[in-house]
Amino acid sequence: MRHAALATGAAVVVGWPWAAPPYFVFLASLIAINAIVAIGLNLLSGYTNQLSFGHAGFLAIGAYAAAILTIRAPALPVPASLLLAGLATAAVGLALGVPCLRLEGLYLAMATLAFGFVVVEAILNLEWLTRGNDGLHVPAARLGPWAFATDTARYYLVVAVAALLIVAAVNISRTRTGRALLAVRESEIAAQASGVNLAAYRTLAFVVSAFYTGVAGGLFALVVGFLSPDSFDVFLSVDFVAMIIVGGLGSILGSVVGAAVITALNDSLAGFQNYRPLIFGAILVTSMLFMPGGIASALRKIPSIRRLR
Amino acid sequence: MISRASLLLLLAVTLSALPAAAQPGVSDTEIVIGSSNSFSGPLAFTGEQITKFGVDLYFRVVNDAGGIHGRKVRTVYYDDGYRPQDAVANTKKLVEQDKVFAIIIPQGSPPVVATLEYLEENKVPLLFPYQSSPVTRGKRYVLQGMTLSDRSSKMMIDYLAGQRKLKKFAALYQDDEYGKSFLTAFEKDLARFGLKLVAAESVKRGVTDVSAQVAKLQAAKPEVTFLVLVPGPGAQALKERQKIGWTDTLMVSTGPLTDERYLSLAAEAAEGVEGLSLWPDPLTSDLPGVKLYREHMQRYFPKNEPNRYSIAGYFVGMLFAEGAKRAGRNLTRESLIASLESVKGFESGILPPITIGPDHETQKQGFWVRVEKGRFKQLTDWLKSE
Repeated sequence: MRHAALATGAAVVVGWPWAAPPYFVFLASLIAINAIVAIGLNLLSGYTNQLSFGHAGFLAIGAYAAAILTIRAPALPVPASLLLAGLATAAVGLALGVPCLRLEGLYLAMATLAFGFVVVEAILNLEWLTRGNDGLHVPAARLGPWAFATDTARYYLVVAVAALLIVAAVNISRTRTGRALLAVRESEIAAQASGVNLAAYRTLAFVVSAFYTGVAGGLFALVVGFLSPDSFDVFLSVDFVAMIIVGGLGSILGSVVGAAVITALNDSLAGFQNYRPLIFGAILVTSMLFMPGGIASALRKIPSIRRLR
Repeated sequence: MISRASLLLLLAVTLSALPAAAQPGVSDTEIVIGSSNSFSGPLAFTGEQITKFGVDLYFRVVNDAGGIHGRKVRTVYYDDGYRPQDAVANTKKLVEQDKVFAIIIPQGSPPVVATLEYLEENKVPLLFPYQSSPVTRGKRYVLQGMTLSDRSSKMMIDYLAGQRKLKKFAALYQDDEYGKSFLTAFEKDLARFGLKLVAAESVKRGVTDVSAQVAKLQAAKPEVTFLVLVPGPGAQALKERQKIGWTDTLMVSTGPLTDERYLSLAAEAAEGVEGLSLWPDPLTSDLPGVKLYREHMQRYFPKNEPNRYSIAGYFVGMLFAEGAKRAGRNLTRESLIASLESVKGFESGILPPITIGPDHETQKQGFWVRVEKGRFKQLTDWLKSE
């Protein structure tokens, strides 16, 4: 059953560009990018119970890093520029994480919120590098003789990276590190008593989370093709938090489903204009009230899906 | 369970993609056009006025009179809140899902620039974007809307340095494409008179406190201070000047800033301020086209007060209809561009006769105004930028 479902899922993902209209290929790329961010955010929030409202800032750093690399070093293959974008973001995550993770709950949320604003200001002021408010046009990425110039090509790039990162996330949860993080989630005091270095593991979760978001940012730059600080406002960070709350805290499947639901919702509400925040808010509140574990835990109650986790 | 559901989804999606018209957005009975615009965020009021009360107002009139060659015009809009990535997604959706025939009056340089290449590649007409930076110039499928900044600058400098013989100029400009494109143009046009800007201060987008910049500009003692801003900070600059009692400079607003919103925000601090106006006064002008516009607004949207945003949208609706009429019953994207290029001496009754031609620029003029008793009073006839 599990294998059959996975195979069907893989077939749908691979066959999607041939069956779906072009716009849905683009939309699916956005969903996959948001899924990577949601998984990254979930590694932080799901395991260490810390919410971040600054992930749009991490996304911006990854996006600008990848864009600038693609512009300045066009010969650099995509995997390398995405990896570098992720590493640059992880480095910023480390620098932010070390002081910030001494803060708890609400205070950490506030610090990350401020971080998001700082990143936007930095982009505005580093005009020689980022072209400030004018925005940055991102050329098609290359892999040897290949250019990712169509929505379909970019879609395959995005889903390949997403698949890799999902497998990595599943595997992290099965290592010593993953078990330590799980212990932290269940009880911080008990974990510390068992010899888990709380500060180190929290920082690690923060850095890995930043890495995931940075890679997603690189993909975002390539898929959207134009970057401007206006893209990375605080509402985007809130969207990311909404994805993991609607999808389910601490669940990888939930992250993907949450990303899909929120992205599709944002897209279908684009015509409703000023009512968008209202409808959006209502859905968020409803899902928190009636589905506190998110879609993932609601799905788990259906017997045939339970075995999928 | 999952497999059946996903197969059904696949089927549904495939079926929905099937009906594709030969010419996107044009059927026997309908022409579909649209845009991504600001319906939330800093330019929400402008976005709503130019589209729903401007473009749509003109098409209500056209549709009630039988449409264009028997086709009614339908519009689709999506909100991007001034965020370029949302503008990209919305524009792709309009082109690929809604299959619009053309994009009409999207707003703001960043969102418009973000979609420029995509539209040009897919040969989708981008009609009359509501922004003034010349970055959109020289594209096969783009027709300019608002008077571009270098043309505005030429009219402003020719009038002030040429006719009124003023010599010391300074500028307070927004630090983005809008402000910088004006700054470059000012410097170029002043050089023709052997002049230079004596001071230039920038304002970051979204910032409203401009006191430091105003103080620095005052120290340079310019005779003329250009305001290349949006209504909020523009009005703030006027209030700040009043507060510090800086009276020996003439404050001059650019075309995009000279509007009623800026005027009402600044209130009595705006008295005596001058500027380049791109539109006749929508509330008081006696021009036949403006009167007709007010009548139509009264008929279809009686609760919406006439303003220069909705008249701008109304005007581009009129230009689109003119192009589509000229293209005839066999309307294609290519024939629309060709017929718009052939527009010569078109009387809108709002602006002077419009000739478009191969440069694709629709608006090349403005006139000088001074604020007297809270309204813009016309000081000159239409100025030329050729």
